[in-house]
Amino acid sequence: MVSDSIAAVPIPSAANTKNPGKKKRTNRSAKLKQYKIDARREQWLSQGAVKNKGCKDGMDDDVHVREKHGKQELEKLETRRRGEEIDVLIHQDSDSESPSNSPVSPNSSVLCGNDSGTNFTGSSRGGSSSSSSSSGGCCSGNITEEEDEEVEEEDDGCLDDWEAVADALAADEKHQNSPHDEPVVERDSSQSCEVTNGSGLGYPNSKPGSGGMVPWGSANGRAWRADDAFRPQTLPNLSKQHSMPNPDRYFGGGGPWCRTSVPSNCPICCEDLDLTDTSFLPCNCGFRLCLFCHKRILEQDARCPGCRKQYECEPIETEASVHGGSLTLRLARSVSMIERS
Amino acid sequence: MATINVHAETGQDNIAPSMQPLPPPKSVDSQSVLRRLQSELMALMMSGDSGISAFPEEDNILCWKGTITGSKDTVFEGTEYKLSLIFPNEYPFKAPKVKFDTTCFHPNVDMHGNICLDILQDKWSSAYDVRTILLSIQSLLGEPNISSPLNQQAAQLWSNQEEYRKMVEKLYKFPAA
Repeated sequence: MVSDSIAAVPIPSAANTKNPGKKKRTNRSAKLKQYKIDARREQWLSQGAVKNKGCKDGMDDDVHVREKHGKQELEKLETRRRGEEIDVLIHQDSDSESPSNSPVSPNSSVLCGNDSGTNFTGSSRGGSSSSSSSSGGCCSGNITEEEDEEVEEEDDGCLDDWEAVADALAADEKHQNSPHDEPVVERDSSQSCEVTNGSGLGYPNSKPGSGGMVPWGSANGRAWRADDAFRPQTLPNLSKQHSMPNPDRYFGGGGPWCRTSVPSNCPICCEDLDLTDTSFLPCNCGFRLCLFCHKRILEQDARCPGCRKQYECEPIETEASVHGGSLTLRLARSVSMIERS
Repeated sequence: MATINVHAETGQDNIAPSMQPLPPPKSVDSQSVLRRLQSELMALMMSGDSGISAFPEEDNILCWKGTITGSKDTVFEGTEYKLSLIFPNEYPFKAPKVKFDTTCFHPNVDMHGNICLDILQDKWSSAYDVRTILLSIQSLLGEPNISSPLNQQAAQLWSNQEEYRKMVEKLYKFPAA
Protein backbone atom coordinates (compact mmCIF):
# COMPACT_ATOMS: atom_id res chain seq x y z
CA MET A 1 0.00 0.00 0.00
CA VAL A 2 2.95 2.22 0.27
CA SER A 3 3.33 1.72 -3.34
CA ASP A 4 -0.34 2.22 -3.62
CA SER A 5 -0.58 5.53 -1.91
CA ILE A 6 2.66 6.81 -3.21
CA ALA A 7 1.86 5.75 -6.67
CA ALA A 8 -1.57 7.21 -6.46
CA VAL A 9 -0.57 10.54 -5.08
CA PRO A 10 2.64 11.66 -6.56
CA ILE A 11 2.03 10.64 -10.13
CA PRO A 12 -0.17 13.57 -10.84
CA SER A 13 2.14 15.74 -8.83
CA ALA A 14 5.10 14.49 -10.75
CA ALA A 15 3.42 15.43 -13.94
CA ASN A 16 2.58 18.69 -12.34
CA THR A 17 6.01 19.56 -11.17
CA LYS A 18 7.40 18.98 -14.58
CA ASN A 19 5.51 21.78 -16.21
CA PRO A 20 4.57 24.19 -13.52
CA GLY A 21 5.64 27.04 -15.74
CA LYS A 22 3.09 26.27 -18.38
CA LYS A 23 0.39 25.80 -15.90
CA LYS A 24 1.04 29.00 -14.15
CA ARG A 25 0.56 31.02 -17.23
CA THR A 26 -2.70 29.50 -18.20
CA ASN A 27 -6.00 30.97 -17.43
CA ARG A 28 -6.77 28.06 -15.27
CA SER A 29 -4.01 28.71 -12.88
CA ALA A 30 -5.18 32.23 -12.47
CA LYS A 31 -8.52 30.88 -11.50
CA LEU A 32 -6.92 28.40 -9.26
CA LYS A 33 -5.21 31.20 -7.53
CA GLN A 34 -8.40 33.04 -7.16
CA TYR A 35 -9.99 29.91 -5.93
CA LYS A 36 -7.20 29.35 -3.52
CA ILE A 37 -7.60 32.79 -2.16
CA ASP A 38 -11.27 32.21 -1.73
CA ALA A 39 -10.73 28.94 -0.01
CA ARG A 40 -8.27 30.38 2.33
CA ARG A 41 -10.47 33.29 3.09
CA GLU A 42 -13.31 30.95 3.71
CA GLN A 43 -11.24 28.91 6.11
CA TRP A 44 -10.09 32.01 7.76
CA LEU A 45 -13.52 33.38 8.22
CA SER A 46 -14.94 30.10 9.33
CA GLN A 47 -12.34 30.03 12.02
CA GLY A 48 -13.88 33.07 13.57
CA ALA A 49 -17.38 31.92 12.86
CA VAL A 50 -16.92 28.39 14.11
CA LYS A 51 -16.19 29.57 17.54
CA ASN A 52 -19.52 31.25 17.82
CA LYS A 53 -21.84 29.88 15.24
CA GLY A 54 -20.46 26.84 13.56
CA CYS A 55 -19.16 26.35 10.09
CA LYS A 56 -22.33 26.97 8.16
CA ASP A 57 -22.45 30.52 9.31
CA GLY A 58 -18.89 30.84 8.33
CA MET A 59 -19.77 29.80 4.85
CA ASP A 60 -22.59 32.18 4.44
CA ASP A 61 -20.50 34.85 5.86
CA ASP A 62 -18.01 34.16 3.22
CA VAL A 63 -20.56 34.33 0.50
CA HIS A 64 -21.16 37.83 1.44
CA VAL A 65 -17.58 38.67 1.83
CA ARG A 66 -16.80 37.40 -1.60
CA GLU A 67 -19.34 39.63 -3.17
CA LYS A 68 -18.15 42.57 -1.25
CA HIS A 69 -14.62 41.72 -1.51
CA GLY A 70 -13.62 42.53 -5.03
CA LYS A 71 -9.96 42.13 -5.78
CA GLN A 72 -8.24 43.90 -2.98
CA GLU A 73 -6.38 41.57 -0.77
CA LEU A 74 -5.85 44.05 1.98
CA GLU A 75 -9.50 44.31 2.59
CA LYS A 76 -9.40 40.81 3.91
CA LEU A 77 -8.39 41.78 7.36
CA GLU A 78 -11.07 44.35 7.60
CA THR A 79 -13.70 42.07 6.26
CA ARG A 80 -12.89 39.42 8.68
CA ARG A 81 -13.44 41.71 11.55
CA ARG A 82 -16.66 42.89 10.11
CA GLY A 83 -17.64 39.38 9.28
CA GLU A 84 -19.23 38.43 12.52
CA GLU A 85 -21.34 41.50 12.85
CA ILE A 86 -22.75 41.19 9.41
CA ASP A 87 -23.01 37.52 9.71
CA VAL A 88 -26.58 37.21 10.85
CA LEU A 89 -27.95 39.37 8.11
CA ILE A 90 -25.94 37.68 5.51
CA HIS A 91 -27.07 34.35 6.67
CA GLN A 92 -30.67 35.23 6.07
CA ASP A 93 -29.91 36.84 2.79
CA SER A 94 -28.06 34.03 1.27
CA ASP A 95 -30.53 31.50 2.51
CA SER A 96 -33.44 33.26 0.94
CA GLU A 97 -31.92 34.63 -2.17
CA SER A 98 -29.85 31.75 -3.35
CA PRO A 99 -31.82 28.56 -3.46
CA SER A 100 -29.05 27.10 -5.54
CA ASN A 101 -27.02 27.20 -2.43
CA SER A 102 -29.33 25.19 -0.33
CA PRO A 103 -29.19 21.85 -2.06
CA VAL A 104 -25.49 21.81 -1.61
CA SER A 105 -25.04 23.22 1.80
CA PRO A 106 -26.91 20.44 3.52
CA ASN A 107 -24.37 18.25 1.90
CA SER A 108 -21.50 20.17 3.26
CA SER A 109 -23.04 20.42 6.63
CA VAL A 110 -23.47 16.70 6.59
CA LEU A 111 -19.82 16.40 5.98
CA CYS A 112 -19.17 18.67 8.84
CA GLY A 113 -21.47 16.66 10.97
CA ASN A 114 -19.72 13.45 10.21
CA ASP A 115 -16.38 14.66 11.15
CA SER A 116 -17.70 16.99 13.68
CA GLY A 117 -14.90 17.00 16.19
CA THR A 118 -12.12 16.60 13.75
CA ASN A 119 -13.46 18.87 11.18
CA PHE A 120 -13.98 21.76 13.46
CA THR A 121 -10.58 21.53 14.84
CA GLY A 122 -9.30 20.95 11.42
CA SER A 123 -10.89 23.96 9.96
CA SER A 124 -9.92 26.19 12.77
CA ARG A 125 -6.40 24.99 12.73
CA GLY A 126 -6.24 25.06 9.03
CA GLY A 127 -7.64 28.49 9.26
CA SER A 128 -5.02 29.62 11.63
CA SER A 129 -2.19 28.33 9.54
CA SER A 130 -3.56 29.69 6.33
CA SER A 131 -4.48 32.96 7.90
CA SER A 132 -0.94 33.45 8.94
CA SER A 133 0.30 32.82 5.47
CA SER A 134 -2.21 35.04 3.81
CA SER A 135 -1.79 37.84 6.24
CA GLY A 136 1.88 37.54 5.57
CA GLY A 137 1.04 38.02 1.96
CA CYS A 138 -0.93 41.13 2.75
CA CYS A 139 1.82 42.68 4.72
CA SER A 140 4.58 42.06 2.29
CA GLY A 141 2.42 42.97 -0.61
CA ASN A 142 4.17 40.26 -2.54
CA ILE A 143 1.09 38.21 -2.99
CA THR A 144 1.58 36.76 -6.39
CA GLU A 145 4.71 34.85 -5.67
CA GLU A 146 3.33 33.38 -2.55
CA GLU A 147 0.25 32.43 -4.36
CA ASP A 148 2.26 30.69 -6.99
CA GLU A 149 4.01 28.64 -4.43
CA GLU A 150 0.81 27.89 -2.71
CA VAL A 151 -0.86 26.80 -5.86
CA GLU A 152 2.00 24.62 -6.78
CA GLU A 153 2.17 23.00 -3.45
CA GLU A 154 -1.45 22.42 -3.05
CA ASP A 155 -1.86 21.20 -6.55
CA ASP A 156 0.16 18.21 -5.67
CA GLY A 157 -2.36 16.85 -3.31
CA CYS A 158 -5.56 17.49 -5.15
CA LEU A 159 -4.90 18.18 -8.73
CA ASP A 160 -8.01 16.41 -9.81
CA ASP A 161 -10.16 18.44 -7.50
CA TRP A 162 -8.55 21.57 -8.66
CA GLU A 163 -9.20 20.90 -12.25
CA ALA A 164 -12.77 20.05 -11.63
CA VAL A 165 -13.21 23.07 -9.48
CA ALA A 166 -11.48 25.30 -11.95
CA ASP A 167 -13.80 24.17 -14.68
CA ALA A 168 -16.77 24.72 -12.45
CA LEU A 169 -15.51 28.13 -11.60
CA ALA A 170 -14.93 29.07 -15.19
CA ALA A 171 -18.48 28.12 -15.98
CA ASP A 172 -19.94 29.69 -12.93
CA GLU A 173 -18.23 32.97 -12.86
CA LYS A 174 -19.89 34.00 -16.05
CA HIS A 175 -23.38 33.69 -14.73
CA GLN A 176 -23.46 34.00 -11.03
CA ASN A 177 -20.71 35.08 -8.93
CA SER A 178 -20.36 33.61 -5.56
CA PRO A 179 -23.16 31.45 -4.31
CA HIS A 180 -22.16 28.55 -6.46
CA ASP A 181 -18.56 28.20 -5.77
CA GLU A 182 -19.06 28.69 -2.12
CA PRO A 183 -20.34 25.20 -1.65
CA VAL A 184 -17.53 24.06 -3.83
CA VAL A 185 -15.07 25.66 -1.56
CA GLU A 186 -16.60 24.10 1.43
CA ARG A 187 -16.67 20.78 -0.22
CA ASP A 188 -13.07 21.05 -1.09
CA SER A 189 -11.92 21.85 2.36
CA SER A 190 -13.69 18.86 3.72
CA GLN A 191 -12.42 16.81 0.87
CA SER A 192 -8.88 17.70 1.44
CA CYS A 193 -9.49 16.68 4.97
CA GLU A 194 -10.77 13.39 3.82
CA VAL A 195 -8.07 12.91 1.32
CA THR A 196 -5.52 13.27 3.98
CA ASN A 197 -7.36 10.88 6.13
CA GLY A 198 -7.52 8.66 3.16
CA SER A 199 -3.83 8.41 2.99
CA GLY A 200 -3.98 7.78 6.65
CA LEU A 201 -6.33 5.05 5.95
CA GLY A 202 -3.89 3.66 3.58
CA TYR A 203 -1.53 3.85 6.38
CA PRO A 204 -1.93 0.58 8.17
CA ASN A 205 -2.31 -1.06 4.92
CA SER A 206 0.01 1.27 3.27
CA LYS A 207 2.76 0.80 5.74
CA PRO A 208 4.66 3.60 4.23
CA GLY A 209 8.11 2.36 3.72
CA SER A 210 9.27 5.58 5.12
CA GLY A 211 7.89 4.31 8.35
CA GLY A 212 7.47 6.03 11.60
CA MET A 213 9.36 9.18 11.00
CA VAL A 214 6.86 10.45 8.54
CA PRO A 215 3.38 11.33 9.62
CA TRP A 216 1.51 9.87 6.79
CA GLY A 217 -1.05 12.57 6.87
CA SER A 218 1.35 14.59 4.86
CA ALA A 219 1.22 12.29 1.90
CA ASN A 220 -1.48 14.29 0.29
CA GLY A 221 -0.69 17.45 2.08
CA ARG A 222 2.14 19.58 1.01
CA ALA A 223 5.52 18.12 1.42
CA TRP A 224 5.42 14.93 -0.54
CA ARG A 225 5.96 14.78 -4.20
CA ALA A 226 7.04 11.97 -6.39
CA ASP A 227 10.65 12.82 -6.08
CA ASP A 228 10.63 13.38 -2.37
CA ALA A 229 8.39 10.63 -1.21
CA PHE A 230 11.12 9.34 1.04
CA ARG A 231 12.62 12.66 1.69
CA PRO A 232 11.51 13.08 5.27
CA GLN A 233 13.96 10.45 6.36
CA THR A 234 16.93 12.07 4.81
CA LEU A 235 15.84 15.63 5.25
CA PRO A 236 14.26 15.82 8.64
CA ASN A 237 13.96 19.57 8.48
CA LEU A 238 11.55 19.43 5.65
CA SER A 239 9.47 16.79 7.27
CA LYS A 240 9.22 18.79 10.41
CA GLN A 241 8.23 21.93 8.69
CA HIS A 242 5.69 20.52 6.35
CA SER A 243 4.33 17.40 7.78
CA MET A 244 4.23 17.96 11.47
CA PRO A 245 1.43 20.51 11.38
CA ASN A 246 -0.76 18.18 9.45
CA PRO A 247 -1.35 15.54 12.09
CA ASP A 248 -2.30 18.29 14.45
CA ARG A 249 -4.68 19.57 11.95
CA TYR A 250 -6.41 16.39 11.16
CA PHE A 251 -6.30 14.54 14.37
CA GLY A 252 -7.69 17.27 16.44
CA GLY A 253 -5.54 16.23 19.34
CA GLY A 254 -2.96 18.74 18.38
CA GLY A 255 -0.39 19.75 20.91
CA PRO A 256 1.28 16.75 22.42
CA TRP A 257 1.32 14.78 19.23
CA CYS A 258 4.86 13.86 18.54
CA ARG A 259 6.90 10.79 17.91
CA THR A 260 8.09 10.34 21.41
CA SER A 261 4.60 10.24 22.84
CA VAL A 262 3.59 7.35 20.62
CA PRO A 263 4.40 4.31 22.66
CA SER A 264 4.86 1.52 20.18
CA ASN A 265 3.90 -0.26 17.05
CA CYS A 266 0.89 -2.34 16.36
CA PRO A 267 1.95 -5.85 17.35
CA ILE A 268 0.05 -7.28 14.43
CA CYS A 269 1.09 -5.21 11.45
CA CYS A 270 4.10 -3.50 13.01
CA GLU A 271 2.90 -0.12 11.90
CA ASP A 272 3.21 2.77 14.27
CA LEU A 273 0.20 3.35 16.40
CA ASP A 274 -1.17 6.78 15.81
CA LEU A 275 -3.02 8.89 18.30
CA THR A 276 -6.30 7.19 17.59
CA ASP A 277 -4.81 3.76 17.88
CA THR A 278 -3.12 4.44 21.15
CA SER A 279 -6.38 5.57 22.66
CA PHE A 280 -8.14 2.55 21.26
CA LEU A 281 -8.55 -0.29 23.71
CA PRO A 282 -10.83 -2.90 22.19
CA CYS A 283 -10.43 -5.63 24.77
CA ASN A 284 -10.45 -5.78 28.52
CA CYS A 285 -7.24 -7.76 28.50
CA GLY A 286 -5.48 -4.60 27.43
CA PHE A 287 -4.15 -5.92 24.18
CA ARG A 288 -3.74 -2.98 21.87
CA LEU A 289 -3.65 -3.03 18.15
CA CYS A 290 -4.27 -0.62 15.38
CA LEU A 291 -7.75 0.02 14.11
CA PHE A 292 -7.08 -1.63 10.81
CA CYS A 293 -5.90 -4.89 12.24
CA HIS A 294 -8.78 -4.77 14.65
CA LYS A 295 -11.20 -4.32 11.81
CA ARG A 296 -9.64 -7.16 9.93
CA ILE A 297 -9.89 -9.45 12.91
CA LEU A 298 -13.50 -8.48 13.39
CA GLU A 299 -14.11 -9.57 9.84
CA GLN A 300 -12.63 -12.95 10.63
CA ASP A 301 -12.89 -14.71 13.95
CA ALA A 302 -13.31 -11.51 15.95
CA ARG A 303 -11.17 -12.81 18.76
CA CYS A 304 -8.68 -10.68 20.59
CA PRO A 305 -5.16 -11.75 19.64
CA GLY A 306 -4.04 -11.17 23.18
CA CYS A 307 -6.48 -13.33 25.07
CA ARG A 308 -8.37 -15.17 22.30
CA LYS A 309 -11.67 -14.03 23.74
CA GLN A 310 -14.32 -12.80 21.38
CA TYR A 311 -14.37 -9.10 21.08
CA GLU A 312 -17.43 -8.11 23.01
CA CYS A 313 -19.05 -5.76 20.60
CA GLU A 314 -20.31 -6.05 17.12
CA PRO A 315 -18.15 -4.13 14.71
CA ILE A 316 -20.56 -1.26 14.43
CA GLU A 317 -21.16 -1.06 18.11
CA THR A 318 -17.46 -1.06 18.62
CA GLU A 319 -17.19 1.96 16.46
CA ALA A 320 -19.96 3.65 18.28
CA SER A 321 -18.54 2.77 21.63
CA VAL A 322 -15.30 4.43 20.85
CA HIS A 323 -15.55 7.83 22.30
CA GLY A 324 -14.55 11.26 21.24
CA GLY A 325 -12.01 11.78 18.52
CA SER A 326 -11.65 8.08 17.85
CA LEU A 327 -15.18 7.80 16.65
CA THR A 328 -14.98 10.67 14.26
CA LEU A 329 -11.71 9.51 12.91
CA ARG A 330 -13.00 6.07 12.23
CA LEU A 331 -15.89 7.45 10.32
CA ALA A 332 -13.71 9.75 8.36
CA ARG A 333 -11.45 6.90 7.46
CA SER A 334 -14.15 4.61 6.34
CA VAL A 335 -15.55 7.35 4.20
CA SER A 336 -12.27 7.95 2.55
CA MET A 337 -11.75 4.25 2.11
CA ILE A 338 -14.80 4.15 -0.03
CA GLU A 339 -13.58 7.08 -1.97
CA ARG A 340 -10.22 5.65 -2.57
CA SER A 341 -11.27 2.27 -3.79
CA MET B 1 -17.87 -33.18 -22.51
CA ALA B 2 -17.81 -30.38 -24.98
CA THR B 3 -20.50 -28.49 -23.18
CA ILE B 4 -18.79 -29.04 -19.92
CA ASN B 5 -15.61 -27.65 -21.32
CA VAL B 6 -17.41 -24.65 -22.63
CA HIS B 7 -18.97 -24.12 -19.28
CA ALA B 8 -15.68 -24.41 -17.59
CA GLU B 9 -14.16 -21.92 -19.94
CA THR B 10 -16.92 -19.41 -19.62
CA GLY B 11 -16.77 -19.92 -15.95
CA GLN B 12 -13.14 -19.00 -15.99
CA ASP B 13 -13.85 -16.06 -18.18
CA ASN B 14 -16.36 -14.89 -15.70
CA ILE B 15 -13.97 -15.33 -12.89
CA ALA B 16 -11.09 -13.61 -14.58
CA PRO B 17 -12.57 -10.13 -14.74
CA SER B 18 -13.95 -10.36 -11.27
CA MET B 19 -10.52 -11.33 -10.08
CA GLN B 20 -9.05 -8.23 -11.63
CA PRO B 21 -9.85 -5.88 -8.77
CA LEU B 22 -8.35 -8.26 -6.28
CA PRO B 23 -4.62 -7.85 -6.95
CA PRO B 24 -4.35 -4.47 -5.24
CA PRO B 25 -5.56 -5.80 -1.91
CA LYS B 26 -3.26 -8.73 -2.34
CA SER B 27 -0.32 -6.53 -2.94
CA VAL B 28 -1.39 -4.61 0.12
CA ASP B 29 -1.37 -7.85 2.00
CA SER B 30 2.01 -8.86 0.81
CA GLN B 31 3.31 -5.46 1.70
CA SER B 32 2.09 -5.78 5.23
CA VAL B 33 3.26 -9.37 5.48
CA LEU B 34 6.64 -8.24 4.31
CA ARG B 35 6.80 -5.53 6.84
CA ARG B 36 5.70 -7.75 9.63
CA LEU B 37 8.16 -10.50 8.74
CA GLN B 38 11.01 -8.08 8.44
CA SER B 39 10.12 -6.75 11.82
CA GLU B 40 9.99 -10.25 13.22
CA LEU B 41 13.32 -11.12 11.76
CA MET B 42 14.82 -8.07 13.34
CA ALA B 43 13.27 -8.88 16.69
CA LEU B 44 14.39 -12.48 16.49
CA MET B 45 17.95 -11.57 15.71
CA MET B 46 18.04 -8.97 18.44
CA SER B 47 16.46 -11.17 21.04
CA GLY B 48 19.39 -13.55 21.23
CA ASP B 49 17.30 -16.48 22.34
CA SER B 50 19.48 -19.49 22.70
CA GLY B 51 18.32 -22.64 21.04
CA ILE B 52 16.17 -21.10 18.37
CA SER B 53 16.94 -19.31 15.19
CA ALA B 54 15.26 -18.64 11.91
CA PHE B 55 16.00 -16.86 8.69
CA PRO B 56 14.16 -16.34 5.45
CA GLU B 57 15.22 -18.27 2.42
CA GLU B 58 17.21 -16.34 -0.09
CA ASP B 59 14.52 -15.56 -2.58
CA ASN B 60 11.33 -15.68 -0.61
CA ILE B 61 10.66 -13.97 2.64
CA LEU B 62 7.51 -16.03 3.02
CA CYS B 63 9.62 -19.18 3.44
CA TRP B 64 11.83 -19.37 6.44
CA LYS B 65 14.16 -22.02 7.75
CA GLY B 66 14.28 -22.34 11.47
CA THR B 67 16.42 -24.24 13.89
CA ILE B 68 15.59 -25.57 17.30
CA THR B 69 17.97 -27.24 19.68
CA GLY B 70 16.69 -29.65 22.26
CA SER B 71 16.48 -28.17 25.72
CA LYS B 72 18.77 -29.26 28.48
CA ASP B 73 17.55 -32.04 30.74
CA THR B 74 15.27 -33.41 28.10
CA VAL B 75 15.73 -36.47 25.94
CA PHE B 76 16.31 -34.09 23.06
CA GLU B 77 19.32 -32.40 24.66
CA GLY B 78 22.12 -31.96 22.21
CA THR B 79 20.00 -32.46 19.14
CA GLU B 80 19.23 -29.84 16.57
CA TYR B 81 16.20 -29.76 14.33
CA LYS B 82 15.59 -27.84 11.20
CA LEU B 83 12.14 -26.62 10.44
CA SER B 84 10.51 -24.87 7.56
CA LEU B 85 8.00 -22.12 8.07
CA ILE B 86 5.73 -21.12 5.22
CA PHE B 87 3.83 -17.92 5.78
CA PRO B 88 0.53 -17.36 4.02
CA ASN B 89 -0.29 -14.04 2.45
CA GLU B 90 -2.77 -13.49 5.22
CA TYR B 91 -0.10 -13.77 7.87
CA PRO B 92 -0.30 -12.93 10.73
CA PHE B 93 -4.04 -13.38 10.57
CA LYS B 94 -3.48 -16.94 9.48
CA ALA B 95 -0.95 -19.25 11.02
CA PRO B 96 2.18 -20.23 9.14
CA LYS B 97 2.69 -23.84 8.12
CA VAL B 98 5.48 -25.21 10.22
CA LYS B 99 7.15 -28.57 9.60
CA PHE B 100 10.17 -30.41 10.82
CA ASP B 101 12.66 -30.87 8.02
CA THR B 102 14.79 -33.02 10.28
CA THR B 103 13.26 -36.29 11.38
CA CYS B 104 12.00 -35.85 14.88
CA PHE B 105 10.92 -38.75 17.01
CA HIS B 106 8.23 -37.10 19.05
CA PRO B 107 4.69 -37.98 20.04
CA ASN B 108 3.26 -34.87 18.38
CA VAL B 109 5.33 -34.97 15.21
CA ASP B 110 4.51 -37.42 12.45
CA MET B 111 6.90 -39.11 10.07
CA HIS B 112 6.58 -36.29 7.56
CA GLY B 113 7.50 -33.69 10.08
CA ASN B 114 4.00 -32.33 10.57
CA ILE B 115 3.49 -30.87 13.98
CA CYS B 116 0.37 -31.17 16.07
CA LEU B 117 0.38 -27.99 18.06
CA ASP B 118 -2.75 -26.08 18.90
CA ILE B 119 -1.27 -22.65 18.40
CA LEU B 120 -0.41 -23.57 14.84
CA GLN B 121 -4.02 -24.50 14.23
CA ASP B 122 -7.17 -23.44 15.99
CA LYS B 123 -5.40 -21.60 18.79
CA TRP B 124 -3.42 -19.43 16.46
CA SER B 125 -3.38 -15.79 17.31
CA SER B 126 -2.02 -12.99 15.22
CA ALA B 127 -0.08 -11.94 18.27
CA TYR B 128 2.20 -14.96 17.87
CA ASP B 129 5.31 -14.65 15.85
CA VAL B 130 8.19 -16.76 14.66
CA ARG B 131 9.96 -16.46 17.93
CA THR B 132 7.01 -17.60 20.02
CA ILE B 133 6.31 -20.40 17.56
CA LEU B 134 9.82 -21.72 17.79
CA LEU B 135 9.88 -21.38 21.55
CA SER B 136 6.58 -23.21 21.75
CA ILE B 137 7.86 -26.03 19.61
CA GLN B 138 11.02 -26.16 21.64
CA SER B 139 9.03 -26.58 24.81
CA LEU B 140 6.73 -29.04 23.09
CA LEU B 141 9.76 -31.24 22.55
CA GLY B 142 10.25 -31.67 26.26
CA GLU B 143 6.57 -31.67 27.16
CA PRO B 144 4.64 -33.63 24.59
CA ASN B 145 0.91 -33.98 24.62
CA ILE B 146 0.60 -37.74 24.96
CA SER B 147 -3.16 -37.77 24.81
CA SER B 148 -3.42 -36.97 21.13
CA PRO B 149 -0.27 -38.31 19.51
CA LEU B 150 0.62 -38.27 15.87
CA ASN B 151 3.36 -40.77 16.56
CA GLN B 152 1.88 -43.61 18.60
CA GLN B 153 5.19 -45.35 19.09
CA ALA B 154 6.80 -42.26 20.50
CA ALA B 155 3.83 -41.62 22.75
CA GLN B 156 4.04 -45.12 24.18
CA LEU B 157 7.75 -44.94 24.65
CA TRP B 158 7.66 -41.54 26.33
CA SER B 159 7.13 -43.03 29.77
CA ASN B 160 10.49 -44.72 29.48
CA GLN B 161 12.84 -41.80 29.09
CA GLU B 162 15.98 -43.85 28.87
CA GLU B 163 14.69 -45.94 26.02
CA TYR B 164 13.27 -42.86 24.46
CA ARG B 165 16.62 -41.13 24.56
CA LYS B 166 18.20 -44.10 22.82
CA MET B 167 15.55 -43.98 20.17
CA VAL B 168 16.09 -40.29 19.64
CA GLU B 169 19.81 -40.80 19.24
CA LYS B 170 19.26 -43.72 16.90
CA LEU B 171 16.91 -41.85 14.62
CA TYR B 172 18.64 -38.54 14.83
CA LYS B 173 20.69 -37.34 11.94
CA PHE B 174 22.52 -34.13 12.37
CA PRO B 175 20.87 -31.85 9.88
CA ALA B 176 22.91 -30.99 6.86
CA ALA B 177 23.78 -27.35 6.83
